[in-house]
Amino acid sequence: MAVIFPSFEWLEGLSEKLNSDAKYAQIARNWEGDMCVVIEPSGPLTEHLLYYLDLWHGKCRKTEILKDLSSVKPKFVLTATYDNISRIMKGELDAMTAMMTRKLHVQGNMAYMMRNVPTVLDFVRCAREVTTEILS
Amino acid sequence: MQPILKVNLTTGETSEYVIPPEWECDYLGGASLAARLLYPVLTRNLDPVSPEVPLLFLNGPLTGTAGPAVGRFVVCGKSPATGLWAESNCGGFWGPELRFCGYDGLWINGKADRPVYLWLNDDRLEVRDAEGVWGKDTYESQEIIKSEIGVPGAHVLTIGPAGENGVLFAGLFCDHGRTAGRTGLGAVAGSKNLKAIAVKGTQKIPLAQPEAYAPLRSQANRALKADNISQVTHDLGTAGVADYADYLGSMPKKYYHQGTMENVDKVSGSTMAETILTGVSACHACVIACGRVVNLGDGVKRKGPEYETVVGFGPNILNDNLEEIVRLNEICDRYGMDTISASNTVGLAYYLFELGVIGEAEAGLSLHWGDTSAAAQLLHLMARREGIGEWMAQGSCRFAAHFGVEEEAVQVNGLEVAYHDPRGVSGMALVYATSPRGACHNKSDYFFVDWGQADPSLGLEFFDKHAGAEKAANVAHHQNWRSACDSLVMCIFGNIAPEMVAGLVNAACGYDLSVDDMLTCGERGWTLKRAINHRLGLTRLNDKLPKALLEPLADGPIAGFVPDLESMLLAYYSARGWDPETGKPTLKKLAELGLEWVAQDIWK
Repeated sequence: MAVIFPSFEWLEGLSEKLNSDAKYAQIARNWEGDMCVVIEPSGPLTEHLLYYLDLWHGKCRKTEILKDLSSVKPKFVLTATYDNISRIMKGELDAMTAMMTRKLHVQGNMAYMMRNVPTVLDFVRCAREVTTEILS
Repeated sequence: MQPILKVNLTTGETSEYVIPPEWECDYLGGASLAARLLYPVLTRNLDPVSPEVPLLFLNGPLTGTAGPAVGRFVVCGKSPATGLWAESNCGGFWGPELRFCGYDGLWINGKADRPVYLWLNDDRLEVRDAEGVWGKDTYESQEIIKSEIGVPGAHVLTIGPAGENGVLFAGLFCDHGRTAGRTGLGAVAGSKNLKAIAVKGTQKIPLAQPEAYAPLRSQANRALKADNISQVTHDLGTAGVADYADYLGSMPKKYYHQGTMENVDKVSGSTMAETILTGVSACHACVIACGRVVNLGDGVKRKGPEYETVVGFGPNILNDNLEEIVRLNEICDRYGMDTISASNTVGLAYYLFELGVIGEAEAGLSLHWGDTSAAAQLLHLMARREGIGEWMAQGSCRFAAHFGVEEEAVQVNGLEVAYHDPRGVSGMALVYATSPRGACHNKSDYFFVDWGQADPSLGLEFFDKHAGAEKAANVAHHQNWRSACDSLVMCIFGNIAPEMVAGLVNAACGYDLSVDDMLTCGERGWTLKRAINHRLGLTRLNDKLPKALLEPLADGPIAGFVPDLESMLLAYYSARGWDPETGKPTLKKLAELGLEWVAQDIWK
């Protein structure tokens, strides 16, 4: 089945991937914290999208599409335009490059983030692998 | 730019030097302009610690304007450690304060007949007796001189006992441990009997288009504050990258001979933030505030170490005690020694002890990995030039050569390698081999590019961390940009869009430069420094890496890999328009950059 990004099915597919991927389970085994991915309008996307994921010890405990951040206090908020997120999903833009060149903004506990960069990068790998089509 | 104040310490004479306007535009300021100004006097026979050698302090066109990460100055000359071009830039508040005096530079010549310090109060210069402060450490010196001056807001740049004693990696220090550490210019100041320079000004910094500059500055500072790298360096200091550097294998351990270390995560910016950090400190108007203030439980506010120092006195000597790193850092700061060169030379001593090249008889003590009390003793010996410290004070190259094993020193052209292993981030192989001041990590912080900071708006591509010759042009391009930043004098952590930097320069100076124009200015400065070094005796054989970095590690994430330096160099010379046989800039390249006038010196 085609999993189109962005969609609820994509978010569910990512959750299943994170819960079944042995490599992610190993790398993220100590990760404790939820995150919200804020996708800003650009290209074909005309409104904000907020994807919430509760990540814990190598598993995804919950996903949700939010209207805003008022109901949650995620450990990390990752913000990027749709175009830049799409490029990351397609593998055209390296996630670290995006973070270091002002294309993917990170808010949260930087000490935790810097200790767990491998987990973040493997999360991105899973997101890429579950994506079969990107809205353009 | 404002004039440069020339001071002859031998005669006490002073004069104002007006920078030719065309040089301001061609070289922008800072290190590149210093290279243009000093070119005629930096000759091969010039003794780096003679009265004739110049010491040039220069600002950039943005210094003190409260722009993004631009509260810096640079000091340039001839390095007593390398015999080559010397430059070292420094934050804090001293550079802006010099600009407030109405000067954009201080050009020191001659030698005082007794220890002195300079006191520049707006345009009034006094040469003051420094007998009472000679021998004092860098923090004490600042306090004593400030007290003698009695003018609130004065800032003092000083050497410590290491500079007085001619330690070849002595630096100049100001404020809370802000350092012009590399290339040994503190020893040059000491050789001139120049203990310190105090400055306090009240003038307004000239801007060509102040109405245009103000909103651009605000926009740039907002962007910089929101940047991820700024967030990391604000929250964790520059050592915030330690965990990632270790993950990639670019953090050296055991004097570059080991790939892993147990408990390495105990010595990082993250650990510092979660344990001993009590505050932060910032350079003039900087929105990042990467400086660390720590408390070791004794109630004393101490400087927390930045990345290089954390690694140098941490994994480099297999020490996992962060508090001990703070103490070793403070010893260096107080004596006025560069922590990279000092810790590298300490690591070499441990390594030579392990090899059996030196023993207790030579060292005067036992040296065992992880023993920080021995490291502290070595630092004291180095600064005082006592015992084995006499040899260590001359840097790792001369220290190793004294014991017949020069090849074991991890240095290039007399400057100790910083803590970004080219076996983990291969771009640093070219950076270390071709930097104009020896194995420097700041003339291009290409490790950031190898980590992912490949900014397409700067024309940079992202290559694999172990890529070879294919990334050579990218390295050269990044060096050109950093050379432009060193002209401004802008901190490498000022991660804002290049177009924004160009806009600030244009508003400050009344130029109409594009990013490409600034890259050309950077390339001009880089090439001129190369020409200076050729004139000082550098050859293609100097473009090299030490033995340790060309041998594979047995363990860790980069086990088995070594960069192919020769193929990278050939691609680099080609990208630069340099002659592959001699490493010299070709006549065509010199003409392209308006530097044909140096050809007669380097191609004769």
